[in-house]
Amino acid sequence: MKRREFIKTSTVTATTACISGIPLFPEGGVDPVSKVTGESPYEITKKGVELIGGMKKFISKQDIVMIKPNIGWNRKVEHAANTNPEVLRAVIEMAFDAGAKKVIVMDNSCHKSEDTYRRSGIKDAVVKSGAEIRFSDENRLVVHQFNGEKLKRWPVFRDHLEVDKFINVPILKHHSSAGLTIGMKNLYGIIGGRRGKLHRNMGENIADLANGFKTDLTIVDAFRILKKNGPVGGRLSDVELKKTVICSKNIFEADVVAVDLFGKSVDEIDFIGAGFRRGMGQKDLKNINIVTFKI
Amino acid sequence: MRTKYPKKKLARIIIQGLFLIVFFWLLIRTGAAATETFKYSDYFFYFDPLLLIVNLFSTHTVITIFFLSLIPVALTLVFGRFFCGWICPMGTIHHFFSWLFRRGKKKVEQVDHKLLKLKYVILTLILVMALFGTNIGGWFDPFSILTRSTSIVVSPSANYVIEETLKEGANESGIISKGLKPAYEFSKKNILPNKPRKYLQSVFIGIVFFLLIAANFYKRRFFCNYLCPLGALYGLFSRFSLLNLDVDKGTCKKCNVCSADCTYNGSPYQDYMKSECMVCYNCEDSCPPDSISTKFSFPAKGSINKIDLGRRRITGSIISGIFFASLPRFSGTSKSRIHNFERPPGSVKEIDFLDRCIRCGECMQACPTNFIQPALFETGIDGLWTPVLEPSIGYCEFECNRCTQVCPTNAIETLALEDKKKFKMGTAVVVKDKCYTYADGYNCAVCEEHCPVPDKAIRFREVDVWNFEGKLVKVKQIYVVPDLCTGCGICENVCPRSDSPGIINSAEEEQREFEYY
Repeated sequence: MKRREFIKTSTVTATTACISGIPLFPEGGVDPVSKVTGESPYEITKKGVELIGGMKKFISKQDIVMIKPNIGWNRKVEHAANTNPEVLRAVIEMAFDAGAKKVIVMDNSCHKSEDTYRRSGIKDAVVKSGAEIRFSDENRLVVHQFNGEKLKRWPVFRDHLEVDKFINVPILKHHSSAGLTIGMKNLYGIIGGRRGKLHRNMGENIADLANGFKTDLTIVDAFRILKKNGPVGGRLSDVELKKTVICSKNIFEADVVAVDLFGKSVDEIDFIGAGFRRGMGQKDLKNINIVTFKI
Repeated sequence: MRTKYPKKKLARIIIQGLFLIVFFWLLIRTGAAATETFKYSDYFFYFDPLLLIVNLFSTHTVITIFFLSLIPVALTLVFGRFFCGWICPMGTIHHFFSWLFRRGKKKVEQVDHKLLKLKYVILTLILVMALFGTNIGGWFDPFSILTRSTSIVVSPSANYVIEETLKEGANESGIISKGLKPAYEFSKKNILPNKPRKYLQSVFIGIVFFLLIAANFYKRRFFCNYLCPLGALYGLFSRFSLLNLDVDKGTCKKCNVCSADCTYNGSPYQDYMKSECMVCYNCEDSCPPDSISTKFSFPAKGSINKIDLGRRRITGSIISGIFFASLPRFSGTSKSRIHNFERPPGSVKEIDFLDRCIRCGECMQACPTNFIQPALFETGIDGLWTPVLEPSIGYCEFECNRCTQVCPTNAIETLALEDKKKFKMGTAVVVKDKCYTYADGYNCAVCEEHCPVPDKAIRFREVDVWNFEGKLVKVKQIYVVPDLCTGCGICENVCPRSDSPGIINSAEEEQREFEYY
């Protein structure tokens, strides 16, 4: 890059940033991360969102909202392989209360979707709350430009691109190749194609995926967590009750707090390091504004 | 010119339609992915006396519920071959196409006495072969053919056509997409499976089914009259049936109107054959001077003409049956100690499996992931269309035992879900030349992630590997714990390698063979 070009670009960028209010350098710790513990997954979810400003801060009236839980596996709630339906019910209710026109729940399951949606208890919970449940439809794949370091482009289900707001509701659990699966890894469910191919350099791919796709809110379900044999699990002795929900606008910082809750160090997890290098947020707990609450 | 209201014919058509709907409804329920267990899907088979006899001959046992098939047999002794004319869904389909191909033409076709004998020869062959250990009943049994053709060809083909027609509705742009969108969304929600079904033998089975339907151009209800062994069996019984066609010789004008509608192309007034008559009431309802009626008589009488196979044909078919039955028995393919195909969970030992399986494809219809596929010749030539597992297409869902619930002949024995989870179909084997963690030296673990066994049949060990850059690196290499592996095939199914999988599902240590040694 020539000097003149450099001056030109940086001036333009800085001016634009100042006018539009986008922080030039990612300022971690600005968005609070709430961490609520309690007996009822439904209550702690509501409290968690309230503590970071309430759902109205994230959803405007007449928005079409996509909620992306983890419905990957044909397992029951007790196995902690999928997002807790109670957490999901709270999120859907809050979205409707905030004025959402339509709420869609959708995931690209690893097992057969018809089975996973049903056995996880999510189908029932969603239908009762009045939201729309949708299967990932391969005819609706479009190539999305992630423009990441490793992941340049990959097919995404267009449902996720067409909505106004995207709420990510992952479950915190062990994952054998990524270390853990939380918010960033949960975005594997918006893409199609041969996802197994992304397991090489997985940390980098996850960071590119999460960096190249805008999420508006992340709610990490850590009510039951899977300590071992993830992501599919299946053994009740591997499940631990943490009774916690973590909420944040920043997907990366929600993940950092969740990693700590799980009892691992952020340095063990590849995608945290990769995300930090991409400037997605703070990876040091001291620099994150954590609001803790106990019901 | 119709002089009277065809009451009996109408009743027949309604009942035929009802049974056809029930048949397809049961089959669709079997394939519906949301069904946990569906107990009634195989009920049509229980009313099939051919299967009762064939499986009695081949396995020397009777599954109790198959005694239900004595009900239609008893009724046949009273009413004749009413089953073919009124109940059989396969017959109804052929009846419909025979009618469709001849609509508007009142042509008298000649009855083919020689060809009518063919189905009796087929019946003899099937029974003799079953007695000598080769069960091919399922290739000809009408329920097997219809179930197989519907689940493997007709229903996926209909789904494909609907999806292809409306596919544009999945997009957002353009007038065509917008117009098709409501129809597309409706069919996705209510008709189409989330992921289209795929079957290996769809072309082969499809051509066979097409030819059977097309044969109705040549002769009315071709399959029923000339090929169907169940029809032949009912034909044997209906010779003694109490219900007869009665032609009033005095009023009959020999106008031949009745022949134009006869299901076997006969002329009821001159060569009524009880064994071939399907009691369809077409002749009675169409006879202008009302000369034809049905009457009960005891002892049975009334057949003007009889089918006589002749001693030579019977002896010939028995001898060829014995000969053909023996061929696959010593061919070596299916009896070899080594084989590389897997059977569905709950399958019995291979030699018993071939005796029991009627190739109906219920298990293939029930399998939610399309793991169960019809075989071509990989299990031996006599194993054509028997179920084998194909990990390149599907995998065995851990929390599912649907295939074990639907098998009518217990070739796949009923397993409780907990037992099925432990049933060992085979074992996964790592292909070290292909697996990334061995050949290329980097972490992958997709198979480990998917392994559904709670204690994990696929595990890691950290080893030093020379990687693709020529460096010695630490890699989490996979290995299989054979005692835990159930052979569900999900590891092979999800392996990201494109050319050939780095881990394969094999019949190694399959439980059904082991239990007997």
